[in-house]
Amino acid sequence: MVSKFLTVPNAQGFHMRPASVFAGAMGKYPCSVTIKFNGNSYNAKSTLNLIAACMKCGSDIELICDGDQENEALAEGAKMIEDGFGE
Amino acid sequence: MIKGIGVSAGIGIGKIHLVEEHSIEYTPKQVTDTDAEKKRFHDAVELFCENTRVQAEALRKTAGEKEAEIMTGHISIVNDPFLLGEVDKLIDGGQCAEASFDSMCDMFIQIFSAAEDDMTRQRAADVRDVRTGVLSVLLGISEVKLSEVPPGTVICVKELTPSMIAEINKDNVAGILTETGSTTSHSAILARVLEIPAVMSVPDIMKAAGNGEEVIIDGGKGTVVLSPDEAQIKEYSEKREKLLLERRELEKYRGKVTESADGTVYELVCNIGKPDDAKKALDFDGEGVGLFRTEFLFMDKTSVPTEEEQFEAYKKAAIILGKKPLIIRTLDIGGDKDIPYLGLAKEENPFMGFRAIRYCLKNRDLFRTQLRAILRASAFGNISIMFPLITCVEEVREGKALVEELKAELRSEGITFDENIRVGIMTETAAAGIIADLLAKESDFFSIGTNDLTGYTMAADRGNSDVSYLYSALQPAVLRMIRSIIKAARDNNIPVGMCGEAASDPMMIPLLISFGLTEFSVSAPSVLRVRKCISTWTKEKADEVADKVMSLGTESEVREYLQNL
Repeated sequence: MVSKFLTVPNAQGFHMRPASVFAGAMGKYPCSVTIKFNGNSYNAKSTLNLIAACMKCGSDIELICDGDQENEALAEGAKMIEDGFGE
Repeated sequence: MIKGIGVSAGIGIGKIHLVEEHSIEYTPKQVTDTDAEKKRFHDAVELFCENTRVQAEALRKTAGEKEAEIMTGHISIVNDPFLLGEVDKLIDGGQCAEASFDSMCDMFIQIFSAAEDDMTRQRAADVRDVRTGVLSVLLGISEVKLSEVPPGTVICVKELTPSMIAEINKDNVAGILTETGSTTSHSAILARVLEIPAVMSVPDIMKAAGNGEEVIIDGGKGTVVLSPDEAQIKEYSEKREKLLLERRELEKYRGKVTESADGTVYELVCNIGKPDDAKKALDFDGEGVGLFRTEFLFMDKTSVPTEEEQFEAYKKAAIILGKKPLIIRTLDIGGDKDIPYLGLAKEENPFMGFRAIRYCLKNRDLFRTQLRAILRASAFGNISIMFPLITCVEEVREGKALVEELKAELRSEGITFDENIRVGIMTETAAAGIIADLLAKESDFFSIGTNDLTGYTMAADRGNSDVSYLYSALQPAVLRMIRSIIKAARDNNIPVGMCGEAASDPMMIPLLISFGLTEFSVSAPSVLRVRKCISTWTKEKADEVADKVMSLGTESEVREYLQNL
């Protein structure tokens, strides 16, 4: 299992578009991808779960990947979040 | 009169068509052949996606690419791996497909509806739309069809879903009324794109209105008149005609030169905040960009954007605009605009403090990166550099010296850029106004930022309700400031523009023409209106107005005189 602590940088947070782009990208990896936020865990391959988590700009989160290709998944996921989903 | 939220401007007059949502009720039952039930569910999802793709295609034609993405978003909701997985589990437990899918959608609808922010709450509507669509397929009932309503129909529905609006024939729909939704709903966005007047969140309208009942809606004010009397129909018909006429009238100015009645040509450009907005500026017939705010590149980030990132953004806007001018304002942070990772110290008085050009000149690395990116992008279009918040000559000299230094650096690296790139300044402080004659000798152009200029001249914060009455660009002090800035520019033969809100104010325009402004930089949707307004004035008439205005002693006298012109 690998993980990284991150801060959501884009103004709108995980709204519809970033959430679906992110979930889509994570869905390609065989490992499980989870986001821990406010004490809860969310399946990061699910757009609906990501929107439901209500992560805002400035939210501190932990991205956790566990299983095959966990390092690749963590690298891509962390970069997407750090880049503010290109917004 | 009933009040709701006006989400799409325009007057709609017509007959109510109540859209009763099909009952998607079902009797939950236990299933034993769970594999067959799962297949039934997945087949339904597939058919739903197919239907939705057709709707997306229809929207792509009537509304546009971005709007169609709302429908394709529904496809990604229904294909959510978590959602599908949980539904399969419920079916495995013996629940029927309807009940399984319904309960999962319901869970997300509950969560989204309870969210604090409006954006997330509105997503509940999308999930509801998806639920209705998939359950309809499972139950074999056809969804509501809005494609066949007669002309002059005002659609009245509890909740307007994007899939409903995708079916709408906009020639037949005079307006839209709903009980839920707000300006950020996907359906509201679509209504605006299709130019259908719409009022949302009208309480209990489904109960109050009857099928076929006459109705007037004002999508600008957010008001609804049920069973209007003749006088009201007459009043609103006239208003509607006037609005449509104005819209058509303005369209005549599309593609025209911006000139006054006596033939003086002006530059009419736009204010933008993102590279893609350059496209919007052109769509609204702007003649270029008079102010490209670069703060967006620095916000929504965790660290300073690299030279490459900035270069790509500036280059993108430059390429969209081609030969048309693109004035890029260097970073204008501080004041009310904070960027957390820069670690700006909390100040007692941020508007008088360490912001904009002052910050950039002290943080050379950051400033160099931005200027290098702008210079490199200048090889791809017609770019100018503009420094914000100038208060003294040294700031201009220092900034320009840095630009020259970076030019030499790029030359030695063999990187191309525009050798003749112009460097101008924002004149938006009282100090800049007072020494405009000196600054004009150091700058290639001026741009008057009336928002800050008004605040700094009047020493009044417009956000403070106790002093905001002082905050007006029509204050004699502000008008004198503007006049002397324009005069200094003209005396030194440099162009002078205005990029604040005042540039599109019809009361201000004759004064600006008289003072000798050469460029108006406005928000994209104002372009045609400003072009039309400029075309109605001659210099002689504008001078008369300006002479009178400059003889008046108070803001209210100025306002009253200009309002009654």
